[in-house]
Amino acid sequence: MSMQVRDLIKAVRGCKTQQKIREVITRESALIRNSFRKEDKINRPRNIYKLIYIHMLGFPSEFGQLECLKLIASPSYIGKRIGYLGLSILVKENQEVLFMSTNIIRNDLSSEDRYIVGLALAALGNIGSSEMLRDLAPEIEKLMESESSYLKKKATLVAIRTIRLVPESVDRFIGKVRTLIGEKNHGVVLTGLQLVLSIVKTEPETIVKFRKLVPGLVRMLKSLINSGYSSEYDFRGTADPFLQYNILRLLRYLGEGSKKSSKLMADILTQVGTSGGITKNVEIAILYEAVLTILSIESDSKLRVTAINTLSRFLSGRHNNSKYVALNTLLKAVNTEPKSLKRHRKVIVECLKDQDISIRRRALDLVFGIMDKQNVESLTQELLDCLPKAENEFRYDITAKICTAIEKFPPNDKWQIDTLIKVLTIGGQYIRDDVSSMMTSVIGRNPDLQYYTLKKLFNILLNDRYRNQTFLQVSSWVIGEYGDILMQKSEKDGELITTTQALDLFQILLESSRTTDGTKYYILTALIKFSTRIEGHDELIKKIIKPYREHVNVELQQRACEFFLLFDYSEIRDPILDRMPVFVEKEIELEIEEEISENNNKGINYNLQENTHTIQNQINNIQNIQNIPNVQNTQNTEMNELLMLNTDTKKTQTQNKQDSLNFLKEIFNGSSSSNTNNMNNMNNNVNNNMNNNGGQDLGLDLGLGLGLGLGLGMNNQSQRQNQNQNKMQMQKQQNQNQTINQNKNQNQNQRQVQNQSQNKSQNQNQNQNQNQSKVQNQPIIVYEKNGMKIEMNFKVGNIRGAPAVMSIIKTTNSSPLLISNYLLQVAVPKTLKAQLSQPSGQNIPPNGNGSINQQLQIIKMVNQKTQLAILLRINYVINGQKIVENKEVSNIPIIF
Amino acid sequence: MIKFILIVNKLGQTRLAQYYTTGLSINKRVALENEITRRCLSRKDKECSFLEFRDLKVIYRRYASLFFLVGVDEEENELGILEFIHCLVETLDKYFENVCELDLMFNIDKAYMILDEMALNGNIIETNKKNIIAPLHIIDQVSKKLK
Repeated sequence: MSMQVRDLIKAVRGCKTQQKIREVITRESALIRNSFRKEDKINRPRNIYKLIYIHMLGFPSEFGQLECLKLIASPSYIGKRIGYLGLSILVKENQEVLFMSTNIIRNDLSSEDRYIVGLALAALGNIGSSEMLRDLAPEIEKLMESESSYLKKKATLVAIRTIRLVPESVDRFIGKVRTLIGEKNHGVVLTGLQLVLSIVKTEPETIVKFRKLVPGLVRMLKSLINSGYSSEYDFRGTADPFLQYNILRLLRYLGEGSKKSSKLMADILTQVGTSGGITKNVEIAILYEAVLTILSIESDSKLRVTAINTLSRFLSGRHNNSKYVALNTLLKAVNTEPKSLKRHRKVIVECLKDQDISIRRRALDLVFGIMDKQNVESLTQELLDCLPKAENEFRYDITAKICTAIEKFPPNDKWQIDTLIKVLTIGGQYIRDDVSSMMTSVIGRNPDLQYYTLKKLFNILLNDRYRNQTFLQVSSWVIGEYGDILMQKSEKDGELITTTQALDLFQILLESSRTTDGTKYYILTALIKFSTRIEGHDELIKKIIKPYREHVNVELQQRACEFFLLFDYSEIRDPILDRMPVFVEKEIELEIEEEISENNNKGINYNLQENTHTIQNQINNIQNIQNIPNVQNTQNTEMNELLMLNTDTKKTQTQNKQDSLNFLKEIFNGSSSSNTNNMNNMNNNVNNNMNNNGGQDLGLDLGLGLGLGLGLGMNNQSQRQNQNQNKMQMQKQQNQNQTINQNKNQNQNQRQVQNQSQNKSQNQNQNQNQNQSKVQNQPIIVYEKNGMKIEMNFKVGNIRGAPAVMSIIKTTNSSPLLISNYLLQVAVPKTLKAQLSQPSGQNIPPNGNGSINQQLQIIKMVNQKTQLAILLRINYVINGQKIVENKEVSNIPIIF
Repeated sequence: MIKFILIVNKLGQTRLAQYYTTGLSINKRVALENEITRRCLSRKDKECSFLEFRDLKVIYRRYASLFFLVGVDEEENELGILEFIHCLVETLDKYFENVCELDLMFNIDKAYMILDEMALNGNIIETNKKNIIAPLHIIDQVSKKLK
């Protein structure tokens, strides 16, 4: 025999563990199931009651669904009551069983007993499915005209559900609205208003019709406000607030887009907006709804200002709830009422210091919303002030907003840099990743401010070297990149900043246990850059880097080894470590373009524009090359990249010029995005996350393709000698990208290899790093024509476990004529991978007075003996004549 | 529109749950209730009574050991719902005479009835306590007679 409901609840309450509760419920469920099987009519209501409780606890109760149907079909009211309760709770999700109840409900709807009808309506209103409601719509319609207001309001709510689930039935109910709203019973009027709202939302065309209701609604609202105390619906001195705010909401829908209706409600809205107090929740609720209506309808500016002022009053009040809704509403009004909003800046800023995080979040959004070029300085300062006191989670939001402000509304570059440094020092560990790239780009394009920034960063570092890691990373990158400027200018200034001081600082930071490995990567890179920026400190830098060649961290170890080796290759060290090209972001670029039309003389802007043109010309030239016969299909990946670019260009050429310009811009952005990728790579390294993601791949491809494409284009440019300077700059940048990317690629390949051979000990790795055995030092002459001679020597070794051939390509010119626009391209079989460094120059002076050096690395990709063969494509201009030649080098005595 | 009304005790145990939306399996429902309750209970007194959760707003208010939580959509007047919660509590109080957790547990059918008199289909129908309780009194009288 199953328990009484009370006993079950007591039993569950007595359980100490979830397991015990489960046991009790399982046992009881089994008993209930048994009782159902025996068709135990007497205990059925009790069992369903228990199931409702069991369901609430989160246990299965499906087996009772059909019993609910039996209960609602029973004649007794008590049985029906539990049955309908079970129906709306247990059967809710089971459409089939629900549909089976349709006929029983239909019977109950026409019952004599209004409470039974009420039960059926309540169930329909809560759970009625679209099929049921469609079937029962005539009954519902009839009940809406019932004499009892108890049934009327319930039927109206069922109608609302019907409209929601069966939108085409809306016409059936439109005609009922007027009588419902005209009723005296508040419940009926309230449901009537909600019915209009749901009709209006389903069929927006009906709004025009319902505008006729506006005067009546205004009258109703007026009488509610003026009635004072009414015992029936009094809520702490306010007459039926629910009715009031529903009227206001309906007025909002009716007033939107209609000046006439808006005018009709203006008076009452002013009255509501100015008369109500703001101490009680009820009053605020109505005021809040009124403000929403004022802001949505076509009200005049005076009324709107009143509305904003009211919200501002909420903000300075004590209730957190009203602050919350006010901030939310103000956020919606940011775009429509910016002026009046800005007047309340003080109150909004004050909310940033609130104890409630939800309010602070809203306030932060709002502060950001009202930010513009005029107030950005003071508002950002406010945000910076609340940064140290905020919770960690919130700090991320604040720094993100500050950074966006810095990006979006900088009054000047100096402010931008100052604020960036401030954010970095105060909240560096809570900052999003791209801030470092923003910093570097700002510094890059402001040569005048570089020294200022450097000095500032350096002094902060000197005084407090254990700042957060992001700050350390950014400042070491900047100091490494522009170290020469710092040293030169500080000498002139008489400031006591010396290179040794900087190097000491870096050493201390490197040795500190509070510096993470991620930061150490940056410091190592800064050190190696220093070696090229300032002469005469190579030994000291070597000494600092040396111990890290054996560091536990593989990435640090690799960097140290590579950097250490770079000292031996001074001819490639300088270009590799050359100054990063100015980093141009998309938005900035657009702004600059606007500026250019007005002012063409600003150095960097001018360059940029020039560069864009250059790319266009060069890509056109690639098109020309495409037409030259005898272009061999090469297997080189780099060549493939070039071909890809060609097809792209072809497409572009068929479109109109504007399009092609856009396309070029995209390419240009692409190349700057490859810069970003480099930055990201650094960040990735910080996280020790070496994944090569898709976006990065794209960046690399573009970088490679463009680098080569531009190089090719150079050949046809001789007639435009006067522009060569710019182009060379551009090419240098691109090539540098290329080099960096290639290095990156190489690193990644190496890493893969390394991963495969993880069992090798670290020492072994070390040896391999430095091991470059078997030197084959006899240079081979691969090309000799027109006085130009290309020699290659080969060195077999391995790079991180992968067999590789290193080669230095030397090009000389013994003819009496200048060779210009020299460009060499290399292709190797698919089993190999070739990487060509940038050439040491473009032009070779006549009579053997100079040469161009280039380094080639060929890495074996598969594990089989391969005969080395190389295909060269040589481009140059001699005597005004452009020459492109392909040359196969197969006589290399190397099998590896 | 109201999406759900929950009454939970301060341990986070659900004492009453009414959903006006469909499509929640038992497991999902239990997970949702746990998550919302956990968040509400962890909030401090000084914080506002609103909580944003997924696409809905939860308005909650604490009365002694019981938390009343109402999930609503974007359009609903948050302060109005607070008033509604208060009205619900007052009505329960009036019917049960100083309502407590046990009253709800042992008379869950009555609690549901009161709720159904006040709100249907996510809309508020009646806020007058007398009107709400009237049908319940009739039932009580009838069942007394039956006994």
